[in-house]
Amino acid sequence: MEQPSKYISMMKVNSIFIVDDDPITVFGIKRMLKPVTSCEDVEIFQNGKEAFDALVTKMEQGDNLPNVIFLDINMPIMDGWDFLEEMLQLPIEERIVINILTSSIDPMDHQKWNEFKSKCSHVLNFKNKPIFKIETSDLNCLNMAS
Amino acid sequence: MKAVEKIEQHYLIKQLPKATALVSNDGTLMDVSDSWKELFGKKINPKSPINVRSIFSDVENLDIKLLGGQTKSIRHQLKRETEILWLESHFTPWFDDKENLMGTIIQTDNISREIEAELQLERVNTMLRSKSEVSKVGCWEFDIKSEELFWCDETKKIHQVPSSFVPNVNEAINFYKQGYSRNKISMLFHKILNDGKPFCQKLQIITHRGEERWVQSAGKAIIENGEIVRLFGTFQDINEEMESEAKIKGNEQLLTTLIDNLPLNVFVKDLDSKKILVNKAECEYLGKTPEELLGKSDFDLYDKEVAKISRDEDLEVIRTLKPILGKETISIKKDGQITNFLTSKIPLFDIDGKINGLIGISMDITPIKKKEEQLQHLINITSVQNKKLINFAHIVSHNLRSHSANFSMLLQFLNSEENEAERNKILNMLEQASDNLLETLSNLNEVVDINTNINLKKAPIQLNHAITKAQQNLAALLDKNKVIIENQVDKGISVLSIPAYLDSILLNLMTNAVKYRSPDRQPKITITAKRMEGKIMLDFTDNGLGIDLERYGDKIFGMYKTFHNNKDAKGFGLYLIRNQIEAMGGQILVDSKVDHGTTFKVYFNDESK
Repeated sequence: MEQPSKYISMMKVNSIFIVDDDPITVFGIKRMLKPVTSCEDVEIFQNGKEAFDALVTKMEQGDNLPNVIFLDINMPIMDGWDFLEEMLQLPIEERIVINILTSSIDPMDHQKWNEFKSKCSHVLNFKNKPIFKIETSDLNCLNMAS
Repeated sequence: MKAVEKIEQHYLIKQLPKATALVSNDGTLMDVSDSWKELFGKKINPKSPINVRSIFSDVENLDIKLLGGQTKSIRHQLKRETEILWLESHFTPWFDDKENLMGTIIQTDNISREIEAELQLERVNTMLRSKSEVSKVGCWEFDIKSEELFWCDETKKIHQVPSSFVPNVNEAINFYKQGYSRNKISMLFHKILNDGKPFCQKLQIITHRGEERWVQSAGKAIIENGEIVRLFGTFQDINEEMESEAKIKGNEQLLTTLIDNLPLNVFVKDLDSKKILVNKAECEYLGKTPEELLGKSDFDLYDKEVAKISRDEDLEVIRTLKPILGKETISIKKDGQITNFLTSKIPLFDIDGKINGLIGISMDITPIKKKEEQLQHLINITSVQNKKLINFAHIVSHNLRSHSANFSMLLQFLNSEENEAERNKILNMLEQASDNLLETLSNLNEVVDINTNINLKKAPIQLNHAITKAQQNLAALLDKNKVIIENQVDKGISVLSIPAYLDSILLNLMTNAVKYRSPDRQPKITITAKRMEGKIMLDFTDNGLGIDLERYGDKIFGMYKTFHNNKDAKGFGLYLIRNQIEAMGGQILVDSKVDHGTTFKVYFNDESK
């Protein structure tokens, strides 16, 4: 157990976005993050639009972009897919780990994930709810990108 | 004396008008008349006596005739340079005044002309006989005075009686078939006897051998001195003609019956696409008599467009000589009636194999087409329903799964959590998750109810009144937000609806308009309605935030889809009313412009339908 934690501590997780309109899920993610990261900068967004606007603002102000995003699909105003679509248009150079969290078992969603994965330079994970634990690999893009 | 006598005698003979020759007992020509010389072309020279045998060389047993001492006659031929003469010679014994047999007197007549006439007559008779045999035309003759009836051989043959048969009038009439034929001939015979009225009639006889056959019997009176003396007539076997005629008529009848009673429109057109034959079905379809249709082209009967298409098809068949088979066509009559046909056009050739028109066969498939459309409509409905069901299944699974996922997660947290404050927090969350699940279940139930209770009773509801009622129910909300409602619906308009659904639709549309009002304007709702093709269209317009339809167009009626940052928004109202409207056979559409407002168009079935 000593080694991975060391490894993470080497990985600087500056900030994390949680984009989900369900307060219970947000509560769960925050709780599960505690054992794997000491990152204090966790921002919560109710929908894709809020998160996207925040990204744009950060880029304009030259702030650090989040290293990890937890993204729900079914959300009002701008859903997870629309958020991804818009985000890919932004000139982001950093690789971000994006964890898609959904309770959907619609095969269409799985298919969309595959499409996005192939045209996206970020790390795209797909996780069906419920989740009980967040692995260190869910925060680490180097591990995934080998 | 003797010489004088001889001379006198000689001179007498010389002058005889009939060719005469005196022949001695030994056959020597003693003396001949000038007419004999002319006939036989010979001269008598006492120095070279001529034996008569040399002249009658081709007559057999000449001696018997010469020496028989009796008068005899023979017919014989005389070959002359250019012709052969028929002669008749009479041999008479020649006695002197003492009754001594001196020889024979031969007198010869030129009977060539009579023989010619005789031969001619025989030829004519033979010709007549063969002609009557070949043409099967016999004849008959009836003598009024003697009441004798004559039948020629052919007439007898037609009656199949032996040539020895001798008919009488009664027998002849009885040969005719009992009934019409016999009655008719009796009447005609009576008339010709009394008035001399000629007749010519096709009748049936029963022959001597019992065969039935058709004959043409004709008669004409021969009148002498104003009185009918004889009847003459012909008798012809026309059985074969009548039989083939009957066969042709039978075939024609069969064909006409067949074509006329086919449940298909049949027509024949010439090379100019003019109709030259139409059957009953075609006449009935066009509502015209055959006479009115013959000679007409499609341009006289159908819409111009349709007629042109049809003419092009005709020309194609005429040009390629290939039939068009089972083509689906649409025909529009001048009165605008539209019929779907399955049409075939087949080239029609004359006996020499040259095309001279075409046969058209059309089957009216309008009812089948209508059924097909209904079926297609049903399939569409079914597939829409199916899509809705799948969608609903996903909604159910997604919503239930998200709650159950939350339960699992929270319970797992609870298991491993020992901190009391943290445990209470998790328990709170569990309670919230349970409430959410209950609400979701009740929402889903509502939707299931709509889609299962499609047989709820619809009633005519006055739309204006229903709107006023909804306004009263929402009075508190509307007052609080100072909403202006302009209800412009005509009081005469009623819709056919399930009362609870109409209430739900109006309440949801109103609360929706209030929820998404613009903070910059006083909320205003304008409601109008109009009748359209058996439907009532309700227009529900607000001046609120509006929605970007290009972006959310297909999602606005989705379940749990919300598009504004609004705490009250649950994304269920529009999903619910769309289900209610569609369950009643209606439709809901949306039109919107961001920051201007939104118009919902709801189609109901008209109360009067």
